[in-house]
Formats: sequence, structure tokens, C-alpha cells
Amino acid sequence: MTTNDQLLQSEAEDREAQLILRARDFWGALVLLSLSVFFLWRTSFIPLWGENRAGVKGGDWYNSAALVPLGIFSAMLVLSLVLLRISVREGGAEQALTAVGIGWNRAEALRFSTLAVILFFYIAGLVPRVDFILCSGLLITALIYGYHGGKAARMVLAAAVVGVAGLYAMTLNLPRSEWAQHDDDWLVLTLWIALTAWVLWRERGSRLARVIPVIAIFAPTLLVCAMAFGFRQNVPNRGGLIFKQIEYHYYVTLKPFWSGK
Amino acid sequence: MDFVFSQLAGFGSAFAALVVDPLTYVYLVTSVFLGITFGALPGLTATLAVTILTGFFGNKIPLDYSMIALLGAYVGAIYGGSYPSILLNIPGTAASAATAMDGHPLAKAGRGGEALGLTTTASFIGTLIGTVALLIFVWVLLLISKNIASPEKALLALFGILLSGTLMSEDLVIKGWIAGLIGLAMAMVGMDPLLSEPRYTFGWSYMLSGFQVVPVLMGAFAVPQIIEGMRHVQVGKMVALQGRILPNLAAVRRHMPTITRSGVIGTGVGALPGVGEDVAGWVSYGVGKTVSKDGKNFGKGSLEGLLSSETANNACIGGALIPLLVLGIPGSPPAAALMGAFKINNVIPGPTIDPAIILRVVAIMVLASFTMWILGLFTARVFIKILRIPQTVFLPVVMVLTAIGSFSVGGGINDLYLMLGVGFVAYFMNLMKYPIAPLVIGVILGGLFDETFRRALFLSDGSLGVFVSRPGAAVLLALNVALVAAQIPMIRRPFQRRDKKEA
Repeated sequence: MTTNDQLLQSEAEDREAQLILRARDFWGALVLLSLSVFFLWRTSFIPLWGENRAGVKGGDWYNSAALVPLGIFSAMLVLSLVLLRISVREGGAEQALTAVGIGWNRAEALRFSTLAVILFFYIAGLVPRVDFILCSGLLITALIYGYHGGKAARMVLAAAVVGVAGLYAMTLNLPRSEWAQHDDDWLVLTLWIALTAWVLWRERGSRLARVIPVIAIFAPTLLVCAMAFGFRQNVPNRGGLIFKQIEYHYYVTLKPFWSGK
Repeated sequence: MDFVFSQLAGFGSAFAALVVDPLTYVYLVTSVFLGITFGALPGLTATLAVTILTGFFGNKIPLDYSMIALLGAYVGAIYGGSYPSILLNIPGTAASAATAMDGHPLAKAGRGGEALGLTTTASFIGTLIGTVALLIFVWVLLLISKNIASPEKALLALFGILLSGTLMSEDLVIKGWIAGLIGLAMAMVGMDPLLSEPRYTFGWSYMLSGFQVVPVLMGAFAVPQIIEGMRHVQVGKMVALQGRILPNLAAVRRHMPTITRSGVIGTGVGALPGVGEDVAGWVSYGVGKTVSKDGKNFGKGSLEGLLSSETANNACIGGALIPLLVLGIPGSPPAAALMGAFKINNVIPGPTIDPAIILRVVAIMVLASFTMWILGLFTARVFIKILRIPQTVFLPVVMVLTAIGSFSVGGGINDLYLMLGVGFVAYFMNLMKYPIAPLVIGVILGGLFDETFRRALFLSDGSLGVFVSRPGAAVLLALNVALVAAQIPMIRRPFQRRDKKEA
């Protein structure tokens, strides 16, 4: 291929990428437009013209709490219309209704959705309800094993394991009053051991198999201990299965021993 | 002259206080090492380093140590980005993108050691240039800023968001502005600062206090980086490091004009609100290419090209701290994270800041740059080993760090939900080429803008004339209008036509 051909090919690729971007901009502009209208409507709930509030006359229009938000959402409405116009003019709207047009990539979609599942269940399901060392150990094992080789089956397995653990915790211990229950801790521990055993078996002899359990055990343990005992900060789920024991032995066994009591 | 001497005396006592404290060295060496590691690992950025450390050190240790940790990481991370740029041809941070243009060809030509040594020294000198500028200009501007009232503050905040949106946009400028508006909109959530009117809380008591800065920072910078980085990437072939890293003094002296020029450019760009180290690196590289005798060799392995970008991105740090400390407007995305750290320590940067804090910041910057220089020259091979760690291995640990850091600052699980929500939104914004820096700057400056804009109108009984009757406000208003007008096609066309004719 000559340099000229390469240049032409690169130009064609740039044009295609630009069209995909404009197709995405088309949808982005529509979302922004809807959000602007929604929030302009919500802003109308805030008194603008100095209405009475609990019998007290509010301020004038110029110090109303609605003034700046009104400007922000109006500006966003205008800019989203400008973006919509640009995307339509540059061919984004024509491409926007096809999967190819918006640059849909099946492998990338799978990678993102499995990651979204893992992160969602870790933050919303596990961190509030399960011991931080256990859920973070499971997360680290699942993420490294699932995404290191770029294999789709591994990503699905990683998402399934974290998803099952998170779903169980959210379903059975949803209200805050039940966050201290330990059944989900035991499930996470079982899943973590099972996944680690699977990794060790499938990747036997590889460096990855040796590294994953070490990082998964030590990183969250060191972090949570540094945060709780070094910086004396609040850490998630202090009553968790493992951390409760660490905290007990820190204050009952280690501290008196250090202070010579 | 008296002013300069009094400044130097103040700096001297702050410096001495730090030097005699043994804990200073613990925080300094650890944070600079962590910073260089973050910068060296492609996929982690300087902003992320400062953000994550804000979650860890933000309000848990005395402010002085917290500042040492954060500034040390900032200085280290900007410099650390040069390692993968030179050895792998992959910029470790956006700030080092221009470094790869000449650094990698130099390494391929067997001059990697020389390139790293000079880069380390240039980054050190660059940081010092920025710091000296900080020491001098911050006081001049502080004196001026005493006369800045609500109208000027409101227009300055708006200018910061608009300028950041304009300069940080990779695609359309309006995307930068939209990102800034989203940030401003997020800052409107909660009780309004003047009348305590609840806004957009949807009946959720957590929202009454508004969005906390640290979870927003973590969400905006860490989560998209983790999602984007969790993919299998074949680590590029690393060029073996040849030659000694310790720089030749004669070579440093020979390149001193380039280093000085780039330091000044970097500081200047850094002082612009919301514009970061990456812009500083490219601007300095562009200027270097134009004015240098070696300009034609830029991109082919020119030491001048390498030093142009590397000096400027480190000098930008001192520059970025000037608007942060004087006006409370962050000069770069990592400075926005620093602002978050100041806020959670109840220190409000701006005209009312305690002058002793500024002197301590300057003293810390000098110590941090010196530590970076020493670590860079004598432990470079350790960082080169770190480069081999795949991002799929370290990013899961970063996720755990982000979660615990975000939780501990506010102490609530709601902050984690906020972090995740912001993270997913920021990921999609990245995908559509919206810059994230204006969003964060919007969140940080939104409260200031809202309060000062309405206060200005309140004091003038609703007269918009207050924004033109004061000279400072009039100039700022003109700048804001010019910035917006410069992007309107109808206004741009005649200028473009004239430029074409001249060409």
C-alpha cells in the first residue's frame, strides 16, 4: 500500500468515526433536551417572583433560588438544540437509527455491561451489607480473572459470580436494619473461595493464578486496617464477618499488649 | 524590594518548619513515590492520584501533612507520565502526550537514559519556576483580589467554566460548555446558599446538603478510567534503557534557555482557570517548534522538543495553584481535586485565605520537586519495572481504593451511590467526547457562582448594570462575551475569511 493509499484510508476512517460521533450526538442532544425541559419544569416549583412562604414574603426575583437554575437549564436547552442541529446537518440523524451507525460493537457492549453489573452489585449490594474485605476480595478476583485475557466467557462468569452475591444480599437483606446479618457474608466467602479455586485450576502454573489471591487478600485487608486503625476513620460495614474479628483483636489483644497492660 | 525580602523570609520560616519535622519526609517520599507510580502506569492520571489521595488523606490528618501528600502526588504524577511516553510511546498521563513525540525516538536511538535524566531535571526546574511564580504573583493578585466583590467573583467563576469548556474540548466547543453546565446544575442541588430553599432534592434528605465534592471527583475521574482500562491490552514493547540517567551538567546548561522558556509558558497556561498540564505541554511544544533552531527535528527525537513539553507540564502545577489560592478557582483538573481537599478541611481558598497556608504550599512544592528529582534520578529503574504491571491487575485495586476513600470522607453509603452514578454518566460523556474537567469545575464553582451572582443583584436592587459599572466586572464580562462570541459561526466567518486572504 502506498503512502497515498494509507492517507486516503486514514481519512475515510476519520470520516466514519466522525459520523458515528454525530449519530451519538443526535441521541445525546435528545437526552439533554429532555433533561433541560424536565428540570425547567422542576425549577418552576421554586418561587421566582417573591411568593409568600409560610406567611412570610419571599425575596424579589433577583435573589430567588430559581434564578440561576433557570439560566443554567435554559442555556442547556439552547446548547442541546445547537448540538442537535449540528448532528442533523452533519449526517448524524440519518445514521442514528442503525446499530452500525452509532458504532455498536458487540464485544465492547458485553465488556461494558458485565463491568456495569459487577460495579453496580459491588457498590449497591455488597459494600453496605457484606464485610469489606470479603466483598473487595471477590471483586478483585472477579475483575482480574474476568478481564485480564479479554475473553468473553470469563467476563460473563465474573459478572455472574458478583451478580449472584449482590442480588442475594439485596434481596434477602434489603432494609438497613438487616445489613448486619451474616448470611450474605458466608455466601460471598464461599463464592470467593470457589472462584479462586476455579482460577487456580484453570490457570495452573501461570503467574496470574499466583498473583490474584495475594492481591485479593492483602489489598483490601491492608486498606481497611489502615483506614480504620491508622487514620481512625469510618469504614464500610464494621460488623462484617472478618473485620469484626480484626477490630476485636486489635482493641482487646494487640493494643493492651502494645501498651504493656 | 522589601516585599520580595519579606516573602523570602516568610517562605524561609515555613520551609524550616517543614524540614525539621521528620514526619514531613515520610509523607513526602511516600506521596511522591505513589504519584510517580500513578503517572507511570498508563490508565492512571495525575488527577486520579490527587483525587484518590484526597479520599484517603483529605481530612484524616493535619492539613499540613494532607497538603504534603496531595502536592507530592501531584508533582510526582505529572513527572511520572514521562516514563511510558519515553519507553513505551504511550503517554502515562495526558500531560505527557507531547513528550512521547520526541522521547520515544530518543529511547529507540539508544538515548533513553539521557532523555530520562534530562526530563527529570527539566521537570524539577519547571516545578521550581512555577513555584517561584506562585510565591510572587499570588501576593500581587491577593492584593488586587481584596477589591474583588460579588459581581467580579461571579463573572470569574463563569469565565473559569467557559474557558475550561472551550480549551478542554476535543470535539465541539459546545460540548465543553454543556459539560460545564451539567456541573453547574449539579451544584444547584440542595439548600440554596442565600434563602435555604431546597432545590431538586426530590424529598431525599441526603440531597439537602448537596452533592459532596469528593464522591463527585471520584466518580468523574476514577470510575470512567476503571471502566475504560479494564480491557486486554498487549503491553507495548518496552525499549531497553540505555545510557546513564544522571544528567550531564553541561547539557542541562546548554538547554537552560529552552527550560526557562517552557517553564514560563507552562506557568502562564497553568494560571488560566481550568486549563491543565496537557494544554501547557502542547502549547510549549508548539512554541518550541516555532522558535527553536532545532524546530525541524521536533518529532524525530529532539531533546529540545522533549524538554519543551516536560518542563511546561510540571511548571503548570505552580501556575494552576495561583488562581486556586487567590480566587478559589482551580487552574487545572488536579487543582480541582486539591480544592476538594481544602474544602473538606474547612479552608476556603480565595482572598480571605490564611497567608501562612500559601507560604506552606510554596515550601511543600519546593520540597516535593526536590524529592521528585532525587527519586527520579536514583530509583528510575524501579518505576520502569512498575510499567510492566498490566492495567487489568492494578485497576481493580484502584476500584477498592476509590470505594473506601469515597465512603470515608462523607461516612455514608449514599456517597458511594453518588460516585457510581456520576461515574457512569462521565463514562458515557467520555464516549461522546465531552470533556470531564469543566463538569468538575462547574460542580466546584457552582455554589460560588450562584451565591455571588445573586448577591451582586441583591446589592444593586436587581440592576444588571452592576456587571458593567465596575471596571473589573466590565472587563470580565467582556472576556466572557468574547469567549462565547468567538465560537459563533456568524462572527467567526469574517475573521476566517480575512485570515485566508492574508495567507
